[in-house]
Amino acid sequence: MSTERHTTDGWDGQALAGLGALVVAAPVFAWAAAQVGYAEPLDVAAEMTGASASALSLHAGLFPDYTVPGLDPYVGTFVSALVGTLLCLGVALRIGSALE
Amino acid sequence: MHTPDGFLHPWMAALFIIASIGVLAFGTRKIRGTVTPRQTQLFGMVTASIFAAQMLNWPLPGGVSAHFVGGALAAIVLGPHLGALSVALVVAVQALVFGDGGVLALGANVWNMAIVQVYGGYAVYRVVSEYNETGAIVLAGWASITLAALSAGIQLGLSPAFGSELISVVTVMAGGHAVLGVGEALLTLLGVHLVARFDAADAESVEGGVVA
Repeated sequence: MSTERHTTDGWDGQALAGLGALVVAAPVFAWAAAQVGYAEPLDVAAEMTGASASALSLHAGLFPDYTVPGLDPYVGTFVSALVGTLLCLGVALRIGSALE
Repeated sequence: MHTPDGFLHPWMAALFIIASIGVLAFGTRKIRGTVTPRQTQLFGMVTASIFAAQMLNWPLPGGVSAHFVGGALAAIVLGPHLGALSVALVVAVQALVFGDGGVLALGANVWNMAIVQVYGGYAVYRVVSEYNETGAIVLAGWASITLAALSAGIQLGLSPAFGSELISVVTVMAGGHAVLGVGEALLTLLGVHLVARFDAADAESVEGGVVA
C-alpha cells in the first residue's frame, strides 16, 4: 500500500512539474509572440473578408485576453496561466469523480 | 481558431450550442459509471495540460502563429467521450474566464475543437493504428486540427460577416491549419509518449506494490 501511495504521488509530482513548466513558459511565449507580431489563420480570413469589424466582445471574462487589469501584461499572463490551469484541473477532477 | 461573438449568424450559433450539448450529453451517458479513479486523475492532468499548452503561442515564419489544441491527444489518451469533455471544458474556461472565444459562439467553438477535432482525430487514429501506431498518432494530430479548421471555415464562410466567401475562408482556415498541423502532429506524438511513459512506470510500480 505504501508503494502504491508513493508511486501515485511520484506520477503526480512529475506531471505537476510538467504543468508548472508550461505555466512558467506562458509569459515567455507571450513576449516572443509580441516581438514577432503574429496572426492566426482566423485573423487572416477575417482581415481578408472585412469581417474583423464584426467581432463583438459580449463577455470579457475576469481575466480579459489572459491579462489581469492593473498588472504588468506578462505577470498577468502568468497569473492567467496559473489560474486557468488550476481551474481546469479542479473542475476536471470533480467531473471525473462524478462519472465514476 | 476561437471564433469570437459577432462572426457567426445567430441561428448558426444557436444550432451549434444545441448540437454540442447533444453530443457531449450522449458521450457523458456512454461513460457514466465506467470511469476509474485512475482515469479521473488522468482526465484532470490532461485537461490542465491542454489548457496550459494552449497558452503557448508559437510564432512562426510568415507572421502566423500556432498553438497546440490537443484534441487528438485527449482522444487517444482518454478515449473519445472523455476526451471531448476534456477539450470542451478547456474551451468553456477560455471563453467564460478569459474572454477567448465568444459566449454565443461557445457552441461552435466546442463543436470544432472538442467534437470534430476529438472524434475526427480518434477515428483517424483507430483506422491507422491497425497498421502503424506512431503513424496513427501523428496522422491523427494533423488530421484533427485540419478537420476542426475545415469545420470552422465552413461555419465562418457561410456567415454574412465574412461576405459568404465560403471557398476563400475555407481555403485560408483549412489550408493554414493543414500547414500548422505539422506542429500539432509532433506535439501530439510527444504528449502521448509522455503520458504513456509516466503511466507505464506508475502501473508497474503499483502492481509491484499491490503484490508486495
